[in-house]
Amino acid sequence: MSLNKNNLTLIFFIFFIGRSSAQESSGTPKDSLEVESLSEVLITGTRTLRQLSSLPLPAQIISKKQIQNINSVRLSNVLGEQTGLITVPDFGGGEGIQLQGLDSQYTLILIDGVPLIGRLAGTLDLNRITVGNIQQIEVVKGASSSLYGSEALGGVVNIITEIPKEGLDAEINYRQSSFNTSDLSTSLSHKKEQFSINGFLNRFSSDGYNLGNNPAINTVEPFENYTLNTKIGYELSEKTDAKISLRYFTQNQDFVASEALRGESDINEWNALLLFNHEFNSKWQSTFEFYTTRYKTNEFLDDDTGNRFSDNFFNQLMIRPEGRAIFKLNENNEFVGGIGLTHETLDRTNFSTTPLFNAPYIYAQWDAHLNDQLNVIVGARYDSHNEYESQLSPKAALRYEVNNKLAIKGSVGYGFKAPDFRQLYFDFNNTTVGYTVLGYNVVEEAIANLQNQGQIANILVPVSQFDSALKAESSVSFNLGFDYDISSSVKLNVNAFRNNINNLIDTQIIANKTNGQNVFSYFNISEVYTQGLEFNASWKPNNELSISGGYQLLYAKDKEAEAAFSNGEVFARQSPTSPAFQLSENDYFGLLNRSRHMANFKVFYNLPQWKLSTNLRVVYRSKFGLFDSNGNGYLDNFDSFVEGNAVVNLAVNKTLFDKYKLGIGADNLFNFTDAPNIPNVPGRIIYATLNFQL
Amino acid sequence: MKTIKLLFLSIFLISIVSCSNEDDNTVLLEVQTETVLNLHAPQIGGQGQPISGAFTKFSFETGTVTTSDTNWDIAFRGTTIIVNGGESLGTNDEPVRTGNAAAYIANGTMASVTEVDTDLLIADSTNGYAIPSGSGNGWYLYNPQLFLVTPIAGKILVFRTHDGRYAKVEILSYYQDAPENPNAMVDEGRYYTFNYVYQPNEDVTTF
Repeated sequence: MSLNKNNLTLIFFIFFIGRSSAQESSGTPKDSLEVESLSEVLITGTRTLRQLSSLPLPAQIISKKQIQNINSVRLSNVLGEQTGLITVPDFGGGEGIQLQGLDSQYTLILIDGVPLIGRLAGTLDLNRITVGNIQQIEVVKGASSSLYGSEALGGVVNIITEIPKEGLDAEINYRQSSFNTSDLSTSLSHKKEQFSINGFLNRFSSDGYNLGNNPAINTVEPFENYTLNTKIGYELSEKTDAKISLRYFTQNQDFVASEALRGESDINEWNALLLFNHEFNSKWQSTFEFYTTRYKTNEFLDDDTGNRFSDNFFNQLMIRPEGRAIFKLNENNEFVGGIGLTHETLDRTNFSTTPLFNAPYIYAQWDAHLNDQLNVIVGARYDSHNEYESQLSPKAALRYEVNNKLAIKGSVGYGFKAPDFRQLYFDFNNTTVGYTVLGYNVVEEAIANLQNQGQIANILVPVSQFDSALKAESSVSFNLGFDYDISSSVKLNVNAFRNNINNLIDTQIIANKTNGQNVFSYFNISEVYTQGLEFNASWKPNNELSISGGYQLLYAKDKEAEAAFSNGEVFARQSPTSPAFQLSENDYFGLLNRSRHMANFKVFYNLPQWKLSTNLRVVYRSKFGLFDSNGNGYLDNFDSFVEGNAVVNLAVNKTLFDKYKLGIGADNLFNFTDAPNIPNVPGRIIYATLNFQL
Repeated sequence: MKTIKLLFLSIFLISIVSCSNEDDNTVLLEVQTETVLNLHAPQIGGQGQPISGAFTKFSFETGTVTTSDTNWDIAFRGTTIIVNGGESLGTNDEPVRTGNAAAYIANGTMASVTEVDTDLLIADSTNGYAIPSGSGNGWYLYNPQLFLVTPIAGKILVFRTHDGRYAKVEILSYYQDAPENPNAMVDEGRYYTFNYVYQPNEDVTTF
């Protein structure tokens, strides 16, 4: 474990200060009302605090209370239980989120409004993020590049960490579960007059698990990680306040490629956010933000004689200053504007250069209540870039309150994802198999080199095709739905969505090598769409019982594939050795790893006389295809599919002496596994938790 | 007068055409639809090693494997299929082309490919075979994880025989006895099972 000792000392020092200064103010009553109201407002949709129920966008809040009720410790578990969200394993070992049928690389993940980086192959691993110090998680669906720029194509997940409350607060949460997995979170926070501070430390470790047949290689190797987080706030005056937020994450994991090749893999990540808020008057308010983050990985493999076999590193840096202002013209008109610059560099194994991105941007938004019933939000953002075409991302949303029970809301937005460093600068030669992958911008030079070495048999795509820049992947997203409060205890919400994605980047063979292998590069190839319907209903007959259900219908298809099917160009066989027949349009299933149906059902029940809270959650996804098994290049109804599955989770929590909470439960109660197809489900997890709150 | 002349001429022409049709019908040989099971196509070497070994020759006219040096139409060795026309690529033990055979691959099913597009026919040459070799290039896909050769659905091999007749072929299996779900670890490979339709009449390009 390469945990930096200085950081540890710093954190404990902060704890100590927090504790000593806390003693004066112990006994201050907690402002529970503030917590309540916070849980109903979100900032992600508009960058101003807005009531969830009145927002014209499809959005969702997952509160700390919900997270604690289900005894969840990592972000992946929490998100995986929400309607329309599904965690999917990536070949890099991470677990990302699929949202409205879009891959995890198209959802922006923020912590306190600033982005997390470190997407080695596109996916940001959600297991990296502890939920121990989370106030709430905000999910906004639909393209949101009008406020957030690149990556916010499918939606935005914003993790809001805890804000220190008046007085002293301390919390310890410990969870021990199957596979010798343990998670310990401690937090301490203090606020007195102008000054607030909190410190958070999380340790998460596991022996991993093995679903495969090879005892030498685990599906997930043993690991240990630490998250440290501290926030310091100071009110310089009644109108001005400053905040510093520091986060450090470090992980060490075994890295095993075969019986003979073993090594380690390390992640080190830090984030620093400095923030100034100033309120000029009742109308003007401004924020200056300076954000820096670095994500570093190192991994190596040694052979059985102790010689170094491979060494890989990844070192990404992002610096982002941003200024923004809110202008409240009157009760009904609010303007938000911002200007900033994203500076990014990446140093990585198999890269031809150490590339540098500079992307200044500017955005503005008008939020208007045109009358008592109609709320309109119009906004746009302009992103300039030194490596690819500039992007203008407009968005419009409106909400119309038909009566106090029914509201209709709709939005249209543009989203984009800039080509990442890998798609531009990768220069990778697989030494064991012999193929080559080239980033778009290095093709010309690399092909020339390979030709000089006599490695190219023939060129399939002329090098001149790479003269014009690779385009950003972009989408236009539509959402239309309604919220209907059937009664005070029954709520229904329905949203229909459609995302039209253009210029999707995919790999394609550009040349044959003399060794029989190929050279691949990245192209703007496909046009795909995802469309469907999301449906959420909840029933709260009293304070002790809550029943909810969610469902998503999804069609995710490639337009070119659709055309091939309708032109009768696609064939299949009933069995591998029966004569072939032509497939029709109805036989096209769609994109890989998409389930047509996803559903969840949750019951939360409290027994106040026993200080007991229980819940049962069922999460279902219907069949999906992971690869084209019959070799016609498309996923059709005659391919073999991964069967649909349902996972049942159960939790029981009991409060003792007011400050302690004891929990037991089982995630995946019926021990569902599907080793080759769903490697991120290890089987039944039995756990116990202990929580102490001051 | 002119119109009457024309009328006579047309009747005369029509009768000739229809007569000739009837004549043909009486002489036409029946189109043959057959299945070949377990045509063994062994090879020596491969996977980086030089490939050699005799090709297994096949004649559509007799519907059987043949050892004739001249009366063969197509021949098999491993996943490679050659025709008795054009020139040798020059690999070891490749037979001399003596006929006028050629081939192309049509997209479709046995039922939907009903006519030969003679413009597409090419013979083997020193640059490559009429039926391209390699996974995904010709008639099969190779799955490197399962080591499995699978015929691509919707690929119909259209041949001109060594003596100018036509045939269409759909390959069904590369494994002995054409198992439902072949397993490269268990099932013996290089055993072709295919359906074919042979048009035995000279210069008739429909099936």
